[in-house]
Amino acid sequence: MILAHGQLHEDVALSALLETLEADCIRTIASQSITQEQVIGACETLGRRIAEGVYDRLLGQFMAGFDISAAHLSAALQLFSRESLQYKCRMELGDITEPLRYDVDRTIRRHRYPLGVLLHIAAGNVDGLPAYSVIEGLLAGNINILKLPSADSGISILLLSELCKLEPALADFIYVFDVPSTDLASLQQFAAVADGVVVWGGDEAVAAARSLAPVNTRVISWGHKLSFAYATLDATDEDLTALAHHICETRQLLCSSCQGIYVDTADRTILEGFGRRFFEILRSVNATYSPVPIGLRAKATLQLYNEELEQHITGNTVCRGDGVSVTVTEDRNLALSCLFRNCWVKPLPREQILPALKGKKGYLQTCGLLCGEHDRLPLSDRLARAGVVRITKAGEMSRTIAGEAHDGEYPLQAYSRIVEIG
Amino acid sequence: MDKRTSLFRHKHPYDLQGTEQLFVEAMAQNAQFQYANCDDYRRICQMQGVDVNNIRTMDDVAKLPVLPTLYFKHHELFSMPAERLLIKATSSGTSGKMSKIGFDTRSLLHGLSMVLRVGRFHRLLSLIPCHYIILGYQPTRQNQTAFSKTGYGFTFMAPALSRTYALVWKDGKYELNIEGLKKQLRRCGRSLFPTRTIGFPAYTHMLLSQLKAEGISMTLPRGSKITMGGGWKQFYAQRVEKEVLYQLAWEVLGIPETDCVEFFGAVEHPILYTTCEKHHFHIPVYSRVIIRDPDTLAPVPHGTVGLVNLLSPMTMSMPILSVMTDDLGVIREDCGCGIGSPYLEIIGRVGVRDITTCAAGADQMLKEVGP
Repeated sequence: MILAHGQLHEDVALSALLETLEADCIRTIASQSITQEQVIGACETLGRRIAEGVYDRLLGQFMAGFDISAAHLSAALQLFSRESLQYKCRMELGDITEPLRYDVDRTIRRHRYPLGVLLHIAAGNVDGLPAYSVIEGLLAGNINILKLPSADSGISILLLSELCKLEPALADFIYVFDVPSTDLASLQQFAAVADGVVVWGGDEAVAAARSLAPVNTRVISWGHKLSFAYATLDATDEDLTALAHHICETRQLLCSSCQGIYVDTADRTILEGFGRRFFEILRSVNATYSPVPIGLRAKATLQLYNEELEQHITGNTVCRGDGVSVTVTEDRNLALSCLFRNCWVKPLPREQILPALKGKKGYLQTCGLLCGEHDRLPLSDRLARAGVVRITKAGEMSRTIAGEAHDGEYPLQAYSRIVEIG
Repeated sequence: MDKRTSLFRHKHPYDLQGTEQLFVEAMAQNAQFQYANCDDYRRICQMQGVDVNNIRTMDDVAKLPVLPTLYFKHHELFSMPAERLLIKATSSGTSGKMSKIGFDTRSLLHGLSMVLRVGRFHRLLSLIPCHYIILGYQPTRQNQTAFSKTGYGFTFMAPALSRTYALVWKDGKYELNIEGLKKQLRRCGRSLFPTRTIGFPAYTHMLLSQLKAEGISMTLPRGSKITMGGGWKQFYAQRVEKEVLYQLAWEVLGIPETDCVEFFGAVEHPILYTTCEKHHFHIPVYSRVIIRDPDTLAPVPHGTVGLVNLLSPMTMSMPILSVMTDDLGVIREDCGCGIGSPYLEIIGRVGVRDITTCAAGADQMLKEVGP
């Protein structure tokens, strides 16, 4: 399925649309522009209609498939509200109305212009994300070409075509194509038209996007990240419980999901005690959630059992049971967990934070910080210096709030440019 | 007296009840041998508090250490000097990781005895020569994966008139030989002698669908068989219901459903599982299956889905007497084909490969970047 100029087309229309794509984009840039207000208005209506249940039949399926709670959906919808989007634009783009001083009697006006055309190469791990990426592109005034991820559920094209219906002015600013990543010829044509390529995904996807794009095309990459928690020994049961809820809820699948806990100690016995304490909390919290599917549980159990057999080499201790586990290790390597409610606990005295994490800088995202109030500021500073871009409370690692930077950057700034006129 | 010998020479390949005590004793002997000769096995027994000198019942056998196939991918465990071992098969390598497994001569002879007995029982063993169409790699010195070896091995069940491979070794690399297969199949259609195809079910399905799409059909001589092994592995997404495949076999090659036979076996559990006329894998006397709870690993009753633990005393050269596969399965008893022993149904692989998460992706990169 293809979406172009507000109309849905079959995939066979690809070559005809590709032929006129560049000319169409140039015509649109020359003769039309969209305002933030138009985008915000359409999103607001769309969000309201989703909340009212207009698309329930379609959305219900994908919510069930991804185990998304109604609370989560309503939090996500909150991001589409007028208030949130206006706030986001204000926070990200800042105020440039004050003219630039050139001389005593001369000033230069500053204007924000879109980059022009953005090609979005979206990842498939979060449904609805491709559409969100396009909306960010629209907020900065761009024409957006979206290449759907291979495992797209159809939700993105549905949302974007509804958006065009609600605000016809957006129709010429949204193109959605369902071409496979192997169709390099088409992708190269998209990239040739684009001023910026926005790529979501791993190093491979980013490298592929760089090779696609001509050298004078900006590549904006939102890569894969790892997140973790950092706990001092006076971390409260309350905080640990909140962290356990976060782990059970996200099943550790998000970039912002906690993979494990670094503990502010070098003492193995203390670390083991901490691991057992968190295991008991995780186990009891997990009992209040629906279990992970059997195949995923079995996979984790196999990995952990294997880990137990290798204990004499690794020195790791595994606490497992009732579908959750905590693996206490000696090393301090930032690593992926077994996912699905299985996390690690590693020693990391605060003085070691920088040397341990510095090399992982580009991959660091959120750190849930569990400590007393007096430690919060100094520890946050250490973590920030090491490269962490979001430091949150234990239960808020995967929060989404309007105006938040994405992996330490403001997307709307990256999708636009400042033009000085004078 | 080696209890294995009696077990592997037992008359009826599916007489589980009649062989239970023998099986327990053979397992006990094997466990004692591994304990004495394999340091790692001894360590694991001690860690799990297992006394190999006190194995008297099937419940005791269930308590023997279960080694996951994953473990063999990272550790080489031999209980005999490597130079005494004949084959070092590697698993088919669909997940990229290889296990090194070696077999001693006596274990292999027991295996041969088993293959002959099972083959005779299922009427696969035949003196009538036939043509073989092998949907796999032509064996070469370079290719050591288990499939090319077993695929080749099967061509001795009946004398081979010809062997045609789907992937042929040419100028230092493998090439797909679809045209050659088609030509040979046409020739087989005119032959007086039957044809047997050997290959992964997914490959077999691919070949049959392609023949059908091109409008090719023939009736292969009576006694021709489609034999399949190796599971669906990476082809889960393309998995077709077996009925569809049997229908295709009939339409395209004129082979009836009862002549479509499937095999199952793992390098780590080299026991020949063969489907009955109702296409079920009954447990043969050489093997026992324990289904284990996906969380606690405790044995679960028949009819419950869980991790598949395969047990056999066949191999002495390595502690593979009780291994855990990456598969989920269930034991059922209601076949009705007359074989009597319960059968194992494989439900699928553990984990969902298709879920790629951003966190998982980052980990991959970290590994590449190094600690």
